Amino acid sequence: MDYSSLRKGLMGIVVSGLLLGGSLVSGTLASVAHARTLDTAYGDVEVSDAPQRVVTLYEGALDAALAAGVTPVGAVTTRGGDNVAEYVEAHFSGERPEIVGVVREINIEAVLAQQPDLILAAAQLPEPQYRLLSRIAPTVVPHAQPLAPDSWEAEARLYGQALNREAEIEDAISAVDHRISELAAAIDDANAGGTAVLARWMPNGPMVMSKALIATGLLAKVGLEVQDAGLVDEGHPHSDILSLENLSQVDGDWLFLATLNADGQAALDAAKQSAAFTRLDVVKQDQVVPVNGQLWSSANGPLAAQAILDDIENALLP
Amino acid sequence: MLILLTALVAVSVVSLLIGAGEVGPQRVLGLLLSASDSEAQFIVWELRTPRTLIGIVVGIALGVAGALLQAISRNPLAEPGLLGVSAGAAFAVALALVLGASAATLRISVAQLGALVGCICVLSVARFRGVGNDPVRLVLAGAAFSGLLGSLTSLMLLYDQRAADEIRFWVVGSLAGRRLDDLVAVLPSLLVAAIAVVIMARPLAALALGERAASGLGHHPTLIRWVAVGCVALLVGAATAIAGPIAFVGLVVPFVARAFAGPDIRRTLWFCLPIGPLVVLTADIISRVVVAPSELPLGVLTALCGAPVLIAVVRAKRLPML
Repeated sequence: MDYSSLRKGLMGIVVSGLLLGGSLVSGTLASVAHARTLDTAYGDVEVSDAPQRVVTLYEGALDAALAAGVTPVGAVTTRGGDNVAEYVEAHFSGERPEIVGVVREINIEAVLAQQPDLILAAAQLPEPQYRLLSRIAPTVVPHAQPLAPDSWEAEARLYGQALNREAEIEDAISAVDHRISELAAAIDDANAGGTAVLARWMPNGPMVMSKALIATGLLAKVGLEVQDAGLVDEGHPHSDILSLENLSQVDGDWLFLATLNADGQAALDAAKQSAAFTRLDVVKQDQVVPVNGQLWSSANGPLAAQAILDDIENALLP
Repeated sequence: MLILLTALVAVSVVSLLIGAGEVGPQRVLGLLLSASDSEAQFIVWELRTPRTLIGIVVGIALGVAGALLQAISRNPLAEPGLLGVSAGAAFAVALALVLGASAATLRISVAQLGALVGCICVLSVARFRGVGNDPVRLVLAGAAFSGLLGSLTSLMLLYDQRAADEIRFWVVGSLAGRRLDDLVAVLPSLLVAAIAVVIMARPLAALALGERAASGLGHHPTLIRWVAVGCVALLVGAATAIAGPIAFVGLVVPFVARAFAGPDIRRTLWFCLPIGPLVVLTADIISRVVVAPSELPLGVLTALCGAPVLIAVVRAKRLPML
């Protein structure tokens, strides 16, 4: 911790020198272009009409930008990975964003090097970082949303406003809604529904994921009865590790098993070494679905929603 | 001794009776009359029996290792966790994970090798000879080295988030979800250590009289120490490999054993055999029930209970010179 604050301090000194030049440039641009005002967590932010060089410092912001048709010049890695989340890859057309840090540790110099004219950050961005970043370019931080399955929509709309592509974001959101009703009807027809649990397997047992995540929200919307066995405290993304003796609480018709490894199969293999796991009904019926935790437990946004719905469709309607 | 053995049997039975789940003592005892309750049967045989057996083995290994370390370093505060042994094992496991192994396939030997290297490093930092006059120096060296290894481990985990997810178990030990296969895998090394300890008991007792006296009796102090360090690494490495780092057991168990056995290392080692499992199993039973339906990791509980014991030991009386 000491080291990181020392590093931030040093970086601040270096950056503030460079900033003199940077703020001059962005100041000039802002006065030339027609400006709009956004309501963000740190007050009103002026954004130029047509941002060209966008840096996203949050997975949900990268997702929304791509959904709106903007490929950022810089982005952060997904949680638990050393690049952007795999589901995002399909949406790059040739050019890729430079990596400018991880969500909790943004490399401000790398952000500056991209000479952005718009920065889209997470609601959790700390104020000191915001102050620094907003000297590089207008920085848009959404109001903190409660942990809820559709919190991503309000965030995506704000990012859409910032990018001046509100219509595209609305289209992306309604495409998700449309897909949900289609899939819900198909699952209903195939009679493939039932109860479902989303869990992450740890060496000692599973962590049950909250019903308030985007992934569990989508499971519920397509007609599954999502359960957390009352184990997840409100506002928490997941439960403590469940004792193996209580494993029957994650039993049901479907078990979605997430891991931060790229390969969801690894979690399933680890889980299968536990006798307490293999005796669950859901395992015996072969209704355990290994899913990518990058997507299912950390991603956010309209493209993530579509990718999750893809997974659901592949699992329930083979 | 008879009381201790009775207590151990009692705790083992309780360990089979009580858990975080809905299967309580009544349903377990019902199994004795009829085997129709398959849920209770599974939980007792497949979950609680392995962790009870593993708890017994881990308790013996950590207790004996603690007694050995305290004897050869002549330091009543010496503890595998404080001597870089656990930190070395955790570091080796983290390194293996970063290099691509997965927690499921990890070789037990990696943890044991790490434990050995960690232990050797600390003892050489603290100057292997002559630490007897300065118990604090060894503890300081161990704390410093463990801190260094800990930060290196964190560094690797920052670099590789996947490992961070899998390493959590290795940072705080636990008996939950461990399999008998793991126990079988470490049995050979435990056996080797056990034989060595039996052979070394007499020379170790001689060493307690001082280096000159031990040499005079025909023993080789340096050789004894190195063999003992090897045993400690095997024992703690094995315990760490199956249960993760469990703090303070190696400190508390020999301390209690000496209260029963007096200063003779041979008697102390005998008393460690029931006391180690007693401590580990009791802590494990508590860890199951306090936050049901989840469980507290055992390592958290022993650290919570062990730290005050360490402080009390240091404060309450002048440390006995070993």
